[in-house]
Amino acid sequence: MTTVYVHGIGMTKFGSFEDKSLKDLLIEASIGALKDANLPKIDAVFVGNFMGGTLSNQEILGAIVANDLGLGYIPTAKLEGACASGGIALRQGVLSILSGEYENVLVVGAEKMKHASTATVTQFINTAMDQSTTEKEAGLTFPGFFGTVANRYMYETGAQKEHLAKVALKNRENAMNNPLAQFQKPTSIEEIVNARMVTDPLGLFDCSPITDGAAAVVLSSKPSNIKVRASSQSSGPTLMQDAIDLLSLPAVKISGERAYEKAGLGPEDIDVAEIHDCFSMTEILSIEELGFFPKLEGWKAVEAGETKVGGRIPVNTSGGLLSKGHPIGATGISQIYQLVRQLRGNAPNQLAKQPKIALAQNLGGTGAYSVVHILERV
Amino acid sequence: MMKVYECCGIESVTKKVYCSSCGKEITNEIDVPEEGTVYSYTVIQVPPAQFAHLAPYTVALIQLKNSKAKVTARILESVAIGDQVKLDSIVDGAYVFKKVGSSKVLHNS
Repeated sequence: MTTVYVHGIGMTKFGSFEDKSLKDLLIEASIGALKDANLPKIDAVFVGNFMGGTLSNQEILGAIVANDLGLGYIPTAKLEGACASGGIALRQGVLSILSGEYENVLVVGAEKMKHASTATVTQFINTAMDQSTTEKEAGLTFPGFFGTVANRYMYETGAQKEHLAKVALKNRENAMNNPLAQFQKPTSIEEIVNARMVTDPLGLFDCSPITDGAAAVVLSSKPSNIKVRASSQSSGPTLMQDAIDLLSLPAVKISGERAYEKAGLGPEDIDVAEIHDCFSMTEILSIEELGFFPKLEGWKAVEAGETKVGGRIPVNTSGGLLSKGHPIGATGISQIYQLVRQLRGNAPNQLAKQPKIALAQNLGGTGAYSVVHILERV
Repeated sequence: MMKVYECCGIESVTKKVYCSSCGKEITNEIDVPEEGTVYSYTVIQVPPAQFAHLAPYTVALIQLKNSKAKVTARILESVAIGDQVKLDSIVDGAYVFKKVGSSKVLHNS
């Protein structure tokens, strides 16, 4: 039975880079991962990207990476699954090694977004919703979906905007120690709660930002000290009006359950996690769906500090999408970057007790895709 | 009336080909009134370019009357969860609902 190991990781700083193209970002992160892996012969490349075609007028990213790195005429592909594009590329890399086809694979994700206006980016991000529906024509946006979820969550649980703010504050405090994060300025609950509203009740700090950046991973069937224990994926509803339970993200729940089953582990075995906090509300829902906390009680765990560094299950020690930044195609791979550093013992916000088992969860669309990976230090 | 598609107890305004529960083709179409209650909502302040002229605007998920199905619609007024709403018009392929009763009235009646 083949096992997949992580051999190298690389990541650009996340932020705004006027002078760097989408290609520059992909290459920079790839070089980091290749050097970290001691330059193995790469057999295939998988790229995670969402908006290269629309925002940078650039496709064929896989072939460009192979060509400009000089990897030879190896097979490549770009994977798209909205904000889960990176996680899906990673999973295809894992599966390609498990199939026996390749020994060493480069997976790299990137997004170049900052050069476009917010209205343009919002318009293109909306391609992650089903465009041929009355729901889209009603003007529901991607953040609007999570705003609608948040209002219902608060109505049913008694959670307040301050609880959402606590997620944003925790992730900002983590990002302050991460030199690669987009936002490192200190903030406060007051500033977060009183910030400009984006989609009621979610304000500016409750929403992940527009970001440039890239992250890369080298995977191999040859052993290293970081083993991929599980890779899993699920789909979910592509429309809000199709959700049977608005306060559930079935894709997260199912991808989590499948990953636990493959790994022979449960939520209680996870030492550290990177969870897709595209919105503060999403982190609360997903820590429930992944079994870390009971349904509709995630907000209480946040209030009790259980997801902070030093808490029962530290979530988003990188700063998360909210403060590390969210260059869409890079996000799922940058989660692995942070978790590998936690497992190696040299991460920003390194846990006092060096973790052994780490979980990454990457979401796409309005819960339309979810990918989970579990890593183990061996 | 609004069409709702049903199989195995799952009701949806979206017409799907097969039932995710039993795997059979979905054939049961039910007509339901174009009214319901606000299940949840948001007020969109940062719109995509296409809807910039409308912002800020309210979008709600409406629990349809006499059905398990919900529908997403734009609402003409500001609303709260539990408010009663009714279809006002269909504009450029969007359902636009209006408020016809508040949640408070509903609770007192």
